[in-house]
Amino acid sequence: MIEVRDLTKYHFGRPVLENVSFRVKEGTNLGLIGPGGAGKTLLLKIICGLVEPDSGNTFIKGQKVQGLALQELTQLRFDIGLLFQNYALFDYLNVTENIAFPLRQAGKHTNKEILKMVQESLNSVDLPHIGHQYPNELSGGMKKRVGFARAVIPKPPIVLYDDPTAGLDPVTSSKIFLFLKAMKEERGVTSITISHDIEGIRDICDSFVLLNKGKVVFYGSRDEIENTQLSLARQFWHGFSDDELG
Amino acid sequence: MKLISAILSLVGTKFLSWSNEVGGMILLSWDILRNCVPPKLDGPETWRNLYRVGVKSFPIVVVTAMLTGAIMVIQSGMYIKEYGAYGLLGWGAGYSVLREVGPIMIGLMFSGRVGANNTAELGTMRVTDQVDALRALAIDPIAYLVMPRVLAMVVMLFLLVVIGDLTALIGGAYTGQVLLGVDAKLFAWSIVNYILLEDFTHGLIKAVAFGFAIALISCHFGMRTTGGAVGVGRAVNASVVASAIAIFVLDYFITYMDA
Repeated sequence: MIEVRDLTKYHFGRPVLENVSFRVKEGTNLGLIGPGGAGKTLLLKIICGLVEPDSGNTFIKGQKVQGLALQELTQLRFDIGLLFQNYALFDYLNVTENIAFPLRQAGKHTNKEILKMVQESLNSVDLPHIGHQYPNELSGGMKKRVGFARAVIPKPPIVLYDDPTAGLDPVTSSKIFLFLKAMKEERGVTSITISHDIEGIRDICDSFVLLNKGKVVFYGSRDEIENTQLSLARQFWHGFSDDELG
Repeated sequence: MKLISAILSLVGTKFLSWSNEVGGMILLSWDILRNCVPPKLDGPETWRNLYRVGVKSFPIVVVTAMLTGAIMVIQSGMYIKEYGAYGLLGWGAGYSVLREVGPIMIGLMFSGRVGANNTAELGTMRVTDQVDALRALAIDPIAYLVMPRVLAMVVMLFLLVVIGDLTALIGGAYTGQVLLGVDAKLFAWSIVNYILLEDFTHGLIKAVAFGFAIALISCHFGMRTTGGAVGVGRAVNASVVASAIAIFVLDYFITYMDA
């Protein structure tokens, strides 16, 4: 479903991603973990064609993303939902309009249908009464859930989550992870989830990639990472502070 | 030798930086043209910008124009008095306001209020990933963000200059009557008899050119903003300076070609 092949990206002459390769099977969730500055967010942006790599390719449903014409890339993006780390909600639109935005732009639904879908979406993220509020009136957790609702409302088969629980309290984090689990189990969504919350993503991801300094240092299933002898992966997975990453 | 090398390096860096900006603006112009055929505009976003750019600028433009007209009359007042040419006051004030001072003053006010605001808004959207969010939602940021702004700025600066010209003439007539004792009817007669339609259209051509330049420059710097809040400040600064330069350069060429 998603394949990343030998991806390399330089920033000011310094490699920030080096020969990154992995695959995500249809209907599964891959956990992308690693210390801050490892290149995780950049990798997500390259996967959905927002940033061009210097070499290597990504494939979505067998289609090569790099080199696509703008129109083809736009068409491909209808199949991908992206939850941004810092929400990226549109400041000048209220919550209802933010969530309705992709539906309105697609132009496939009537206004009545859109408002119904938005309300259902708000109910599903436990925020039924905030439709009239603007992003600057919301807490971080609320913004995250609104961002989540906006990313998944067009029902894309692929969703990329960039640190969905960053800076959130444990209760809100648990709710978010429940949403992610529901997306996979009920809608069969294929996804990549960046998170530093190992406890949270342990149960929702089928496989894991550990990225460090732009390189893949571990790629394997949940059982494999649980039992790995690779010191870097063990350190990150268990949160030891006195090893290679410390 | 070191000094020469440093100077050459500075000149080269500045040249590359300017070339980069000019190149970026040419590419953005091409993107705008590409989106004109067939026209791709988001309705609500276009209305929002027409209101924000035009209606909200109305009070400041009226005040600026009124004072501009008054200043023109005060400046020419002493010569009018000296030669007793009261019948030429309307022509003197009107000619300079309609052809030069009106479009330039309103253009500069527009650039400071609307252009700076536009760069800040787009720049903030850029550094907070809102522009990437649009692209991720399969929406072309040029069609959705830039096109409505360009249209709104060109149309609204044109209309604001028309309103501003009228207001400036009213301000001039009122000042002439109060300070110089020139009857408003004589002032109006002077305008009707001596001012040509092409004096008025000359100013309007400038308004359209200034509107497009301010839109292009402010969108260019906004859409290329990097570096967080500091970057937004830098982009706004660059946008205001470049817009002011563009207004004077365009004014020179349009005046030269019409001379």
